[in-house]
Amino acid sequence: MRTSYLIFLEIRQRWLNFLLSLLAVVAATALFVSFFTTGQASKQETVRLMRDMGFNLRILPEKTNMEEFWKTGYSEYTMPESHVYSLASKEAISYAHLTAILQGKILWQEKEIILTGIAPELSPPGKKKPPMAYSIERGTLHIGFEIAQGLGLEKGNKIDIFGKPFLIAQTLSESGTDDDIRIFAHLKDVQILLDKEGRINEIKALQCLCVVEDKNINDLTLLREQLTQVLPDTKVILIKSIALARESQRMMAEKYFAFIVPFVVVVCMAWIGILAFTNVRERRHEIGIMRALGYGSQKIASLFLGKAVVVGLAGAAIGFVLGTFLAVKFGPSIFKVTANMIAPEMNLLYWALIFSPAVCMLSAFIPSIIAVTQDPAVTLREE
Amino acid sequence: MNMVRLEHVRKFFRTKQGDVNALDDVSLSVRENEFVVVRGPSGSGKTTLLLSIGGMLRPTEGQILVNGQDIYAQNNRERAHFRAENIGFVFQLFHLVPYLNVVENVLLPSGTGKKQYVRKDAEELLDRLNLSDRMLHRPSQLSAGEKQRTAIARAMLKNPGIILADEPTGNLDPENSREIITHLVKFQKSGGTVIIITHSSNVDSYADRIFYLDKGKIDNRHA
Repeated sequence: MRTSYLIFLEIRQRWLNFLLSLLAVVAATALFVSFFTTGQASKQETVRLMRDMGFNLRILPEKTNMEEFWKTGYSEYTMPESHVYSLASKEAISYAHLTAILQGKILWQEKEIILTGIAPELSPPGKKKPPMAYSIERGTLHIGFEIAQGLGLEKGNKIDIFGKPFLIAQTLSESGTDDDIRIFAHLKDVQILLDKEGRINEIKALQCLCVVEDKNINDLTLLREQLTQVLPDTKVILIKSIALARESQRMMAEKYFAFIVPFVVVVCMAWIGILAFTNVRERRHEIGIMRALGYGSQKIASLFLGKAVVVGLAGAAIGFVLGTFLAVKFGPSIFKVTANMIAPEMNLLYWALIFSPAVCMLSAFIPSIIAVTQDPAVTLREE
Repeated sequence: MNMVRLEHVRKFFRTKQGDVNALDDVSLSVRENEFVVVRGPSGSGKTTLLLSIGGMLRPTEGQILVNGQDIYAQNNRERAHFRAENIGFVFQLFHLVPYLNVVENVLLPSGTGKKQYVRKDAEELLDRLNLSDRMLHRPSQLSAGEKQRTAIARAMLKNPGIILADEPTGNLDPENSREIITHLVKFQKSGGTVIIITHSSNVDSYADRIFYLDKGKIDNRHA
């Protein structure tokens, strides 16, 4: 009589035991599948949200006095605007967004204002990304909150700065930073106003997702070395708090998942193991008589391990369908920004079909050993 | 020729209450084509004797030969194979597999050994045991007598040289008991050897010989 036939008949007889084991595998597989399916969307969403926190890398002229820089908020020295294009063209340097900036303090309408010129953002070659800072048209201004409030400026107003006409494209909401006393304009316009054409005093960069895993900032050291080769007259500041926040946010989901995975696997294995052990206890007379009829250890173990494989395969298939359904159905409402990234991942089915039976066999291994080593002389004497 | 020979067989069990002498220097022999009854009260060591002869309980001392083979000189695999080909078991509690029907239970031994047995072999046996109308029933749908007849059919499938029966009528009424014994006698008449262990005397009249076991020893006073 074939082992597979015996397994099938036994499952039909003790369907509740099978169903409970199946339930454990389905639940675990569905959890993993839904996590992984939504995981990519979650990661992208985190990147998008973190990106909105601002740049984390500032490249300044080498001679910049840092005490003055932190006092005034900008470098008194300048560097060629071409630096940003040199940097942007280097594939060896990791960055996500680059923006050339020229800032300078001016007295306008009896107010001390930081005039900030922003160039259109640059992305790495072949990786066009949506801009994360203001995109400012030439001849237009974005007015900081305090200045707009103090001077009664509104969107659509036309004003002159040093004789050059501008249209106010936007008045900014209160930021709680020195952005509130800034006027933002296109880099070219500010270069003209400050009489520093072709010059900038800062390059801001988002050096995303790979910077500060090591708190010794080895990545920054590496970046500084790379920058020295490309831009010998610059220095780099890492805004650690932003970088760390970005990194820790990204890692949080992974850590959470790293905790959940072994936890679920252990609980699932324990569940299946207990059910397999119960199954062995329930079948001890059957094992005893099989022994008496000459069945060997291998054949008896294969009855239990084979059943575990059936549970694993069925659980993997059902769990994949359920997990995918849950991810596709509910994922978009959780990850609204990246909802369109949530789609069935067929390779998860293949992994599930490999791992689930393996885990089930591992869970049923000890009960199988108990079944094999069970003394038929004892069980056959039981009444 | 001796089908079974035991020489100075001892079997101790170590328990919390101390050592138990289940078999104490038992020597006996059963000839081929003999119908032997081993009688004795509960706890006398009858089942230990049966399982030892069946190759499922290694004696502490002594030698057991079945069909000329020292079965405990064999390794587990060889002994399992030997058991499958040479020995049939019948138990008081039937020990039928609950999820197999009658035919499938009878065919269960076909999962061992080289020779394949088919449904027709089982059906012929069941016909001889008056179970042809119960072939597709599960054990839970059978009477006690039918269960035991199924167990006998299972024991006889491979046409073993010997059937070891542990209280085969213990759970049966007198009519079913007689029928079971009749089938075992038929097996003996067809050339097989039967050893029945029991605590009652209702099988004595069928026996060629009766051994009495008391506290693990053969009691020759009854011989």
